Amino acid sequence: MQQPTAIRLPALLAAAWAIFIKDLRSELRTRYAINALVLFAASAAVAVSLGVGFIGVRRSAEYLLIQSTLLWIALLFAALNGLSRGFVYEEETRTIAALRLAAPPIAVYLGKFLFNLALLVLLDTVTCLLFIVMVRVEVGSPLAFILVLAAGGLCLATATTILAAIIARASFKSALFAVLAFPLLVPPLIIAIQSTALTLDNNALALALPGIRTLIAYAVATFVASLMLFRFVWEA
Amino acid sequence: MAQRMAQAAKLLIGVWIAGVAVAMFLVLPQYEGLGNAGRIIIMHVPTAWVSVLAFAVSALFSGLYLWRGRTEDDDYATAAAESGFLFTVLATVTGAIFSQVVWGIYWNWDPRQTSIFVLLLIYAALFALRSAIDDPTRRRQLSAVYSLFAFVTVPFLIFVAPRVSESTLHPNCAFMQGSTCEGVDIGVGKLGLLGDRKIELVSLIQTGDVVTAEVLVSEPGLSDDIRLTPSFNIVNQEILDRPNFPGLRYHLILQEVDLANQRARLNIEAPGTGLLDNSRTLLTFLAAIFGFTALFFWMLYVRATLLGVQWALARKQGAHG
Repeated sequence: MQQPTAIRLPALLAAAWAIFIKDLRSELRTRYAINALVLFAASAAVAVSLGVGFIGVRRSAEYLLIQSTLLWIALLFAALNGLSRGFVYEEETRTIAALRLAAPPIAVYLGKFLFNLALLVLLDTVTCLLFIVMVRVEVGSPLAFILVLAAGGLCLATATTILAAIIARASFKSALFAVLAFPLLVPPLIIAIQSTALTLDNNALALALPGIRTLIAYAVATFVASLMLFRFVWEA
Repeated sequence: MAQRMAQAAKLLIGVWIAGVAVAMFLVLPQYEGLGNAGRIIIMHVPTAWVSVLAFAVSALFSGLYLWRGRTEDDDYATAAAESGFLFTVLATVTGAIFSQVVWGIYWNWDPRQTSIFVLLLIYAALFALRSAIDDPTRRRQLSAVYSLFAFVTVPFLIFVAPRVSESTLHPNCAFMQGSTCEGVDIGVGKLGLLGDRKIELVSLIQTGDVVTAEVLVSEPGLSDDIRLTPSFNIVNQEILDRPNFPGLRYHLILQEVDLANQRARLNIEAPGTGLLDNSRTLLTFLAAIFGFTALFFWMLYVRATLLGVQWALARKQGAHG
């Protein structure tokens, strides 16, 4: 609240972008989050393919649902592993105070949100490619599939970024992150799993559209709530 | 004065709840098909209502805390979450017992079961968060943010509901007045779906004023079709025979008959349909809702006061030691 109340939008966005670039640079130096996410996705895909990847499973509606559930389990737990990194890192290296002086809270939130979003795009791509290759997930409607994944990933990012900021100030950080995030992610997860199962079949864009809309509504609601509440987390 | 009032409220609520408990067994008539298990509804619905109310109250006081920064508001938010957690557990347990007795299954991931499970998880997460932060101001502020943030996401469970509601057990159209199950309107010789059962209307036979439908029902999990014959009086529009679905306490009813076009509307009727039509049941039910709501606010007041006293004591000790 020490900041002047009226911050100009371009300046805010510039600050957010600078934080995003800074995070990206320090991530590329250590590759902590990238390694954690990609290795987790790879292990999950291999573990799943050992069980259900053999030839000769019939493509029934139930099997599509099982494949989409396994895909989202891999995505969810990889995300819960890596997405808290942005804020926990600042707390561990004691750079929070510097960041607090350098930028207004909303810019910090937006920067970290963009960084998480970038991580999720990478995670989504890697996990899906691995699932397509190793678990032999056949995508019937690629456009709808990508849209559902993008909307679901957006939900993961909007819901977890502020939680990462909360748990960075607490003890037992990584365990607490999953505990706090899971109950809030149940609604988008149910919708994403069911919509993804639909998109594995052919011509599913029209069928998947209501699910995508609900996911985007969830993302917008949590994003706006985060923007309003982040100031209080940052000041605490 | 405030202490006297609290004392009086305690006695009054105690007597009131005791009265509801007695009325639950003595005033409520026994319902056909539900037996004594039906009485648990008098406890189940109010506890479920209070668990949602407590969540809203907790979010409200969290918002007030963030706005005004008074520790009392945080005490109230915590007290609401704690008593809400108790009521949520009670609603889950009473619901599971009723579900096992009437539908033969404790848990089914019905939309409402999913919602109450998520509510339990959110409360648990809130307590985990509170216990993981040592600094009191920071603890208050962060748990208030989490409480409000969770409150934003919960309504989305309503959007999820239609996606999983094919497996609902909650009798939406049985207990709620003014809402009805649509049923299915089919012609003779046609197939239709009623819930997850496939039904076939074989024939409509009129004898005097009474029309009897012959319906083949195939249950998921049963290999053979079962022949049920619900009947309907077309002169005074009265439902007569209500045969049970095999193994369940649901009835199949014939709701409307159109003999000229050989069509009929078939529907599921849950036991206890029109339960609240009975004024004794309705009054007991309302009294239970009022009693439990009052109990919640009393618990809220007592627990919040206690938290305030604890905080004052801790500060005093800190100042001296």
